[in-house]
This record gives sequence, C-alpha cells and structure tokens, in this order.
Amino acid sequence: MKPSYFPRYVIVMLVCGIFGIAIVIQMIRINFSDTAQDLIDKSSDYQGVEEVIYPSRGLIYDRSGNILATNQIAYELGIDLKFVDDPESIAFAAASLFEDLDYEDIFELANTDLKEDENLYFVLASYVSEEKIAELEQLETTYAERRADNGSLTPSLEGLVWTPMQQRTYPEETLASNILGFYNYFSRETAQGVYGVEEEYNSLLTGKPEKVFMANDPYLVEAYPDIDPGASLVLTIDREIQAMVEETLADAIDWSGAEGGTIIVSDPETGEILGMASTPTFDANEYWEYEETFPNPTPYNRAIGTTYEPGSVFKVITMAAALDSGVADLETTYNDATGVYWVDDSWPIYNWDGGAWGEQDMTGCMQHSLNVCLAYIACDLLEEDLFYEYIQAFGFGKSTGIDLAGEANFPLRLPEDNDWVSVDLATNSFGQGIAVTPIQMVAAVSAVANEGKIMLPHVVRSVVSDDQQYNISPQVVSSPISAETAETLTQMLTVALQEEASSALVDGYSVAGKTGTAEIPTELGYTSTTTNTSFVGWGPSDDPKFVVYIWLEEPSISKWGSVVAAPVFHDIVEKLVVLMKIPPDDIRLELNEDLSEP
Amino acid sequence: MKNRLIQAYQQAPWRVQLQWIGLFLIFVVLISAITGIYLSVNSQAAAAGREIQSLESKISTMNDEIAELTADLAEARSAEIYAARAEELGFELLDPAEAVYLAVPGYDPDQALVFTSSRIDPIAEAPIVRSSYRSSLWDWFVENIWQVSGSTADSSGEALP
Repeated sequence: MKPSYFPRYVIVMLVCGIFGIAIVIQMIRINFSDTAQDLIDKSSDYQGVEEVIYPSRGLIYDRSGNILATNQIAYELGIDLKFVDDPESIAFAAASLFEDLDYEDIFELANTDLKEDENLYFVLASYVSEEKIAELEQLETTYAERRADNGSLTPSLEGLVWTPMQQRTYPEETLASNILGFYNYFSRETAQGVYGVEEEYNSLLTGKPEKVFMANDPYLVEAYPDIDPGASLVLTIDREIQAMVEETLADAIDWSGAEGGTIIVSDPETGEILGMASTPTFDANEYWEYEETFPNPTPYNRAIGTTYEPGSVFKVITMAAALDSGVADLETTYNDATGVYWVDDSWPIYNWDGGAWGEQDMTGCMQHSLNVCLAYIACDLLEEDLFYEYIQAFGFGKSTGIDLAGEANFPLRLPEDNDWVSVDLATNSFGQGIAVTPIQMVAAVSAVANEGKIMLPHVVRSVVSDDQQYNISPQVVSSPISAETAETLTQMLTVALQEEASSALVDGYSVAGKTGTAEIPTELGYTSTTTNTSFVGWGPSDDPKFVVYIWLEEPSISKWGSVVAAPVFHDIVEKLVVLMKIPPDDIRLELNEDLSEP
Repeated sequence: MKNRLIQAYQQAPWRVQLQWIGLFLIFVVLISAITGIYLSVNSQAAAAGREIQSLESKISTMNDEIAELTADLAEARSAEIYAARAEELGFELLDPAEAVYLAVPGYDPDQALVFTSSRIDPIAEAPIVRSSYRSSLWDWFVENIWQVSGSTADSSGEALP
C-alpha cells in the first residue's frame, strides 16, 4: 500500500516537470523563431565593437634631441545614438560651434531611428581643438543647470561625445618645414606624410594600426594588445644651424631681391645634412595652406626638387676631372689671347666679361672663372669620353638617393644621345647646358672636400623603434677622384679665393670655394637678362668639416655670384664655425699640437 | 516471524522523513555553495573585466597626457622661445672674435644621441591577477613558512646593513 502522501508528491512533481518542460520548449522556440537572429544581432551590438587602434606617430628630433615634430591631443566629435535624448540641442550646439557643420544634417543624424540603422555612432568632426571642447563642456554644464532648474529632460547634450585622439604638431612652426614635409591628418584612414622626411619615412613613423574588439560585456574584456608607437627619427639637422641658415637666406633674399633661394650645409666626411633652407617656407601646422604657399609649379624644397643650370660652380668638377686624369696640373697654362674659344670653328665661347686674360695657369683659370679656359680643358684635354665619364662618376644624371621625398633629377645629355651637339661639351664644362639639383652639386663637391669620396647625403641619423636605436652609418657612394687630386684642388681654390680677395673669405679661417653665375635658358635660348647666382665653398681647407652651397635665383641688385652669393657664404661660415665649435686655424692647429703631445 | 523481524528493524517514519529532509537539505546546501562559488567567481571575473577596461582607459589617457606634455615641452623649448628668453635674460649673440676655445681631451661635441628605453610593458610589469591568486596552496605555505622562519632568523642574527 502506497503512503497517503504519495499523490501530493506526484502532483508537485508533475507541476514542476511540466513547468520545466515548458521552459525548455520556450527556449527552443525562441532559438528557432524568426526574431532570434535579430535578438542575436542586437546582443552582439551591446557586446562591443571592433575598432582600429592607431599607434602614436613617431617623433622627429634634431641631432641634439630637440623635438621638431610631435603629437598633441585633439578630439573626435561624434553622436552615439544610444544616448541621444535631445537631437535639437545637439544639432544646435555642434552647428553653432563648428562653422562647417550644418544644423539640418546633424539633426537628421541625431534623429536617426535606431531600429532602422545599425550604425550607432556617427563622426561629426575630427581633430577638434581643446578650446572647442572646453566650450562644449561649458555648454553642457549650462544645460545641466537649466534642466535642474526646470525639472525637465531638455536641453541635453547626452549622446554628443568627444574622444581624445593624437594630432601631429610642429613646435618649431616654420623651422625646417621644407625638410620635414607635413602630415595630412584630417582623414585618419588616408592620413599620410607628404614631402620630406614625413613622406620618405611614412611607414616607419606610422607604425602598425591594429583592429581590436572593444567589449562592453565585462566577461569578454581582454587587455588590448601592446601596440608599439611608430618609429621616431633623429635627424642629422642641427636646429641652431638650421635656424641660422634660414635666417641668413631670408636676409639674403631680402637684400638681393632674389626670387628665391636655397642654402645647404653638409658634413663632407659623413654626408650628413646639417642645415637645408629653401624658399618659400610655411608652417606645417597649417598644412592646408600648402597650395597657397606653393602655387604650381613651385617646388616644396628647391634644394632637392629643382634642377637648374649651375654655371661656374660646375668648373670645380671640370677642374677635378682634369687634375685627376692627369691631363692638367698646377703648372699647366692656357693662353687666353683673344677671349674667345671656338668649338668646331662654329660656336664661339666667351668669358663672362667678354675680355681676354692672357696666359693663365690653372689657378688663374679658376680664380678669374675663365669660360674659354675650361672649354679648352674639356674639349682639347679631357675630350668627350673622359669628361662625361667623370661627370657620371660625380653622380650627375642620377638622383643622389637622399632620404627626402621629392628629389628631382634631369637626365644627363651624353654624346650618344641624338640631342647632344659638340658645343655641349664646351658649355657643360662651365655649368651651362647641364641641369643639376643643389643637392647633386653638394654631393659632387663633397668629394673634393673629403679625400675624393662622395658620401651618401642623408638627413636621418638614427631610427628609434621598439626600444632599439638603429644608427645609420655613413656610406661611400663613389670615389670619382683621388685624395691627392682633392687636396690639390682644395689648395688651388683656397689660393684662388685669397688672391681674388673674395667677399666670401672669413677672418681666421682658410676656405676653398667657387662662385657661379649662370644664364637662365628660356624657350628662345639664353635671352633672359637675369641670372642664377651660386657659391660653393668648404673649410677649413686643411681638414674640411663643412660644405656650404648657396643658390640665389634671379637677384635684382647684381647678376654676379661674386657680388650676391659670396657675401652670403661669408655670413654663413662666420656663424657656422661658432655653432660647430671650429676654432680659427691658428688656434685649432695649436690645440691639435697640444692634444697630440704625450 | 518474518514480518516481526522487518518491523523490528524498520525505522520509525519520522526518522525516514528526517533522513530525506536531511538529504534534501544537503543537496540544497551543495547547490547553494556551488551557486555561491559560481556567482563569486563570475563577479570577480566581471570586476576584473571592468578593471581591465578602467586600466586600459587610464593607459590611453596617460599616453594622451604624455603626448600633450611632450608637445608643451617641445613648444617651450623651441628655438624661437629660447632666443626670446635668452634676450630677456640679457644674453647676446657671441661675437666669433671673442670666442675662447679650450682643448678638452676625449670630448666629442657631436656624440650621437642615445635614446634609452622609457617604455614599460603594462602587462608584464603590472599583472591584473594578484600573485595570491596565481600561487598554489604549496607556494603559499612555503612562502609564509619561509617568511616566518626568515624573520625569526633575522631577529636573532646581526642587524642588516
């Protein structure tokens, strides 16, 4: 016989069982219902979102550690529809604070029906300044007080959100902007470096953005991956030298009435660029004004981006070829009896003053910058094969490989080319009929200042990435001439400057150099009355530590390089030796003796 | 006889009920304990998740602050501001003719900058899970016994420098 309480157990058991089965059936029904996928999608929306994390862009330092490019805080302004209570107030606030935002557009976005649109967040503006955000915060506080006073839910900026992001900034403003380039950051997805170091090293500076799932569900939260910032760069540029060079160039252009100009200061032993100024310049913090500052076809950096006929500074290369090949030496003479040199009895070559200078040794030819003498050397002594062999060995006709974006190059016209004529050999010898960039001239002349070796010109000294510092070693590109030739030519050009009593000379320092005055070709030939004036020099002559190249385009006060560019070289070197801590020759030699004594 | 024996050894109904109730209560306690542990672990996981979010947010904020301070510092140390400050303080540009040079053996004025590591791996340096949660009972036992014995030994020995 069953106990009397058995039916009650059975009833309770049945009720519980039926209830449990009903729950299970309902669970199965929900999982296979039409709305199940919607529910799953909705739940996934609330679980979190996948976002791209952009690493901080690498910093750029000068050679002493001064920051030339860094990042500062800006904000992204957006609407998070989940929290929007008052679309009117959001639209009003955003449109009143940001000129390029329209009330109607924002209102429409803020009023988007969540059920119809899966996108819960809209970006209104990127890189909003801290000042604007402070105004928004002030407005939010005012609205909160008004709500408290009225006891209402409006006005409210709930749903208008601002999140911090990093923005490129150049604390030195215009300084070295032609070297640095700029970063067009307005669109995060397409942002990239433009020109200069920013473009050349864009991928290193940017780092690797990563997609990360940002979970709202605390059970799904994981630590974000450790995203390394972009690599930082240490430049070879010396901020003090750069500032001095830019200031001197601005003064020179102002004084000479030149259309534009460039100055390069480099270390011939390493190829490091210590300073590089070019006009025009601008503040990369306002890069959107680029097109106004650089109307087409103005180059961003003339030092690397413009080719021009250099004129007599090129005579250094011709003379180096003559001395190195042995076709001429210091005692070789040329008798300039008529002041004209005929090429193939068809094309006359004249001196810069149209005069005849009589018998001249090689130093005299360089000192007086005699075109006829150099044409004679190229046509009669070197001849075309040897001349162009040396020209190519000096790197003309190809890019130097400097690590700056936007380097230009004009192909070298050679005897085997159809458009080459025999007079080209003569004109090329004194820098006409050949187009070069200032950086090509610097690299080539550096061989004369560095025992015959051309070093790869570069502006990046070190790359700092993943806690490792990679120092970039100087690289020898070629050795077009011997060390003896380099020394002989340096002494020749030192004497030439001294005997000429050039305005390039600097008290206490021996420097070698050469002026350049180039006619400017037009579509109708050399019909322009204006010139390009240049000067290339290096020193101290016995142990060169710097090469300075100056190009002033179409000056109005004089057309001669010796009048316009040579004094600028003097001004530069006078300050440069202090900044580079190079004592005057007598003190330096004395100090060297002291140090060499046991 | 058989019925009598069964009756003799059969427990009283209230005892049987008590046993059932006891069993049920044990079951309830076990379920409650498991549920409690489950809830506790879950709440700790959720708290850890929130802590991770909070720390990530702090890292992000601090990175932004570092960037902002670096930018401020760079601006304060810019060539233009330095020059203006130097002028305010009465400094003048050096006349090259007045420069005095000294030979300093071994001094290289142009040494390459060395950037030392300043980045700290937050995961490696500051684990989210405390060490007490990662150590086994044996580890805890050894560690505490070691500490006790160590402190005893120290107290009896000479003072440490």
